[in-house]
Amino acid sequence: MNTTILIAEDEPLMRERLLEMLAAAWPEARVVMVAENGNDAWDGFLEHEPQVVFLDIRMPGLSGLEVAQRIGKLAHVIFVTAYDQYAVDAFDAGAVDYLLKPVQAERLDKALARLRQRLAAPPPDLGELLRHLKASMPRQPAPEKLKWIKATVGKQIRLIDVGDVLFFQSDTKYTRVVLADSEALVKIPLKDLLGGLDPERFWQIHRGTVVNVTAVAAVERIDAERMEVIVRGCTERLPVSRSFTHLFRD
Amino acid sequence: MSNISNISNMSNISRTNKLWSKFGDQFLMITEDQRKVLEDPQTLGNIAPGYRRKMAVKMAAMSPIERSQLLEFSLKFRGRHLAITLAKIMLVLTLCGLAVALLFPQRGLVESIAYANVMGLVLVAWMVTTYFKLSQLYGKTMHLVMLNVFGYMLGHVIGLILGGWGTGWTFQESIEKKWMEIVISGCVIGLFLSVPAALMGAIRHRHYKQYTAKLERDAQEHRAARELSESRLRLLHAQIEPHFLFNTLGAVQQLAEKGAPEAARLTAILIAFLRASMAEMRSETVSLNADFALIKAYLDVMKARLGTRLDYTLDLPDSLAHVTMPSMMLLTLVENAIKHGIEPSLRGGHIKVTGSMQDACVALTVSDTGPGLGSKPGAGEGLANVRARLTLLYGAAGTLSVADGAEDGVVATIMLPLTKESQ
Repeated sequence: MNTTILIAEDEPLMRERLLEMLAAAWPEARVVMVAENGNDAWDGFLEHEPQVVFLDIRMPGLSGLEVAQRIGKLAHVIFVTAYDQYAVDAFDAGAVDYLLKPVQAERLDKALARLRQRLAAPPPDLGELLRHLKASMPRQPAPEKLKWIKATVGKQIRLIDVGDVLFFQSDTKYTRVVLADSEALVKIPLKDLLGGLDPERFWQIHRGTVVNVTAVAAVERIDAERMEVIVRGCTERLPVSRSFTHLFRD
Repeated sequence: MSNISNISNMSNISRTNKLWSKFGDQFLMITEDQRKVLEDPQTLGNIAPGYRRKMAVKMAAMSPIERSQLLEFSLKFRGRHLAITLAKIMLVLTLCGLAVALLFPQRGLVESIAYANVMGLVLVAWMVTTYFKLSQLYGKTMHLVMLNVFGYMLGHVIGLILGGWGTGWTFQESIEKKWMEIVISGCVIGLFLSVPAALMGAIRHRHYKQYTAKLERDAQEHRAARELSESRLRLLHAQIEPHFLFNTLGAVQQLAEKGAPEAARLTAILIAFLRASMAEMRSETVSLNADFALIKAYLDVMKARLGTRLDYTLDLPDSLAHVTMPSMMLLTLVENAIKHGIEPSLRGGHIKVTGSMQDACVALTVSDTGPGLGSKPGAGEGLANVRARLTLLYGAAGTLSVADGAEDGVVATIMLPLTKESQ
């Protein structure tokens, strides 16, 4: 089976360049998705579950570092940056591979050779390094956490306190916001809401589902791979996708 | 036992010292907390309201040089040192009085000595106060002249009292016989001696004013030079900023490898930007025409890189084309709009740069359609530098305001007075 790759890069020419160079250097690999921002990259990752991810560090939405944090040990990550000295130093120290923009063929060949060797083993855990890096990165504007969500219900605009939400569910370009006594539809895709939610409180359990941890009554194991979350005061059962079952394992 | 006596001795000494310094302070009328005001006018609030506070307010209003000189003087002549100095002066004055008594025996020895001391001390005090512009502490110069006149009259009277023993007259007799002489000589001598002191004060005052004005001017020039060089550094940094430089060169390389004709075009735009920015860096001011050309080159480079995510409009009326403004400012605002308005925004956005006349001012506005200021109002980089330069060049008339737009994004506006030179 061919190695699957996701590329996340916000500048079109840089995107095109990486894509063409990858095709030349590693024709057997299959690029399953090209994302233009961090939110799309994470959503695309959940959809396609690629083995290798090329992440630009500076992107709109989730930054490359944040996407990598979410990916965790689920894929091999190669960072791409024009010049982020802090990050580059940390990558050098932590043996994380990275490419400097504009990407040059020789450097890409080297990185790919190393990557092929590593592919057999499970991806390393970058959690500690990324946490440290995010803390020391200068002028990283912490994404503001949402307090209220505006939802249009009929002719009214409802202001929903984020804390009252039991879970969010993706509905193509909309997001279903479910509360204890009602629900509403918000015109923002779930992938773009994610960055504004406190990851400690709101756990993503599926590409299309984010649940308020305080509202979780129980998690039920269906079989070796599948789980379902039972939400307090709600008859709906929310499936946990394979990428997230680790959240509920001891 | 001996320990105890030592301690009491020491406390005696320190008490004597305290007494002396209290005396000195009283004489110079500068207390410890007022000295602190001389060192740092901010401490003015620590002094309790009253006469001392009023004097301290005037001290705080003195120029820094005057304050430091007065402080130095008050530290040097205080306590024991002041008393010794005064004693020396009085000794000299007493000798003068003795000489006068020998030259004019009819005046009487004690009267001459008392007269010389009082006159001399008043003169010394007069000189010291005018030297340190302490006249300010008292109030008007007229006030001091009156004091001077009164001082001489008092000296005369004291002289009479003491001299009374020599002549055998009672105090009343002396006053009756000499009151005309006291008033006339007091006025004449007092006024006469006031003139050189007042002259000295006036000269010194003018000298001070010139000196402080020069210092102020120098400081102003330094500040302006510093802000200008910071602007230059910022622009230099913007040119070789790794993300700007490498991403742009990467874009050129990619286009060139494809054999796309845009490669040459993007190179040409990059050259135009670098050239224009170097020209701006060399000068303090720039015509709006040239400034808008620089911004256009910068935005074209960014547009080549960001593609459909960036749109922009530039609007400069012909009537403002040759108006000059401080260099490199508008570019700082446009860079901020890219960095905080377009780059973090998922769908990109629009940047609008306009120049217009508002009353007698030129208004330059950069607006974007980004996420707005959020919780970090006015925190964009380089804004402090822009503000500082505007203030240095135009005072309160040159302003920069940064606010959330009516619908979305940020609106940054520079207002400049339309002066003759800028037209």
